[in-house]
Amino acid sequence: MVKIPADDWHVLSGSYALDALPDPERVEFERHLQHCPSCEAEVRGLRETAARLAMARALQPPLGMEQRVLAAAYRTRQLPPLPSDRLRAARDHRRAQVARRFAPRRIAAFAAAASVAAAVALGITQVSTQHRLESTQASNAAISQVVTAPDARIETTRTSAGGSVTVVASAALREAVVTGTGTPPAGRVYQVWVMSPSAARSAGLMAGPSTVLASAVVPGDRIGITVEPAGGTSKPTTTPVAVLPA
Amino acid sequence: MARVARGDHRAFELVYGGLAGPVYGVVRQVLRDPAQSEEVAQEVLLEVWRTASRFDPARGSAAAWALTIAHRRAVDRVRSECAGSRREQKAATGMVPDDDAAEVVAATLDHQRVRRCLDGLTELQRESIKLAYYGGYTYPQVAHLLGVALGTVKTRIRDGLIRMRDCMAVTW
Repeated sequence: MVKIPADDWHVLSGSYALDALPDPERVEFERHLQHCPSCEAEVRGLRETAARLAMARALQPPLGMEQRVLAAAYRTRQLPPLPSDRLRAARDHRRAQVARRFAPRRIAAFAAAASVAAAVALGITQVSTQHRLESTQASNAAISQVVTAPDARIETTRTSAGGSVTVVASAALREAVVTGTGTPPAGRVYQVWVMSPSAARSAGLMAGPSTVLASAVVPGDRIGITVEPAGGTSKPTTTPVAVLPA
Repeated sequence: MARVARGDHRAFELVYGGLAGPVYGVVRQVLRDPAQSEEVAQEVLLEVWRTASRFDPARGSAAAWALTIAHRRAVDRVRSECAGSRREQKAATGMVPDDDAAEVVAATLDHQRVRRCLDGLTELQRESIKLAYYGGYTYPQVAHLLGVALGTVKTRIRDGLIRMRDCMAVTW
């Protein structure tokens, strides 16, 4: 047992988040965390920060590693949920189903499922597909996941209507964050489209400078912005003021 | 992750696509040896598959969860006896090699953002964090390497990390 003065607990959170506590202190600190909600919250935030340090050093994994990992995984039995997790698992499942039910039919079922999986995988649980289609503001968490994706690419262009549009896209996440700086004419909105060679589907509306998250974006898709009547339309009705690669 | 926990292969492939680079990168940063790093990175990603049902989104992002496992595994490997001799030479000099620019996946936004935020720290904060996280050293080892008091290092690591957190939270 290591004696740690009461005042020193908080100062250990940083070292703990970086795995820099020697073992005896780590064990003590973990015990302390169980009845110190403020320490726990701080550690959680600092772990996210540490994760960003890791992401900044992302490397291309060796050739063949993906096949080896996937093959090993599919031979490996997964742990069952802990009993207390069961309710939550059921809730997540329901949420995924609800999100899928509201996905437009145009999106292939596979693409919808994949985007929900990616969203859930990366912790964007609060953003359902429905919400994403109706909302003009993407959540910061969802945005930060795309913007911090190791393969994020950025494109900016000026629109023919005056403002500028920036697209940050991650092929791995199949998502793109679209940020516009312009303000549309009165009674109109900017509508963001994911345009494939054969169709355009709405990713959201911008009534002023704002950000929209486009999901289920596949290679070859482009992001287009059109001026539409307030409330948006189901298909583009005007020539895009900007088109960028997704 | 909920789908991964239900054994969905496609969902796991997506998770793999998002995490393999950062997992391999951080393990390699700590271990340096490519063969050992690949072995540990594979273990970590397999662990993500195996324990997906234990991931709790209320307690943080999946990326942070997986990268915490990755860093912990790498550090455990370093601190156990089987650490390679190459690594021990590094420990003797207390050197944290900078990223091999050619190998880092492009100049990602994250890379630029982290670099900019690290630049905003004091030198002692920055060196303490880099030695602890990228070097895999414990804070007493960091204190020894930097020739400062234990309490100073603990404080600098926490203050520096909090500053990093706030710096990176500012919307781009």
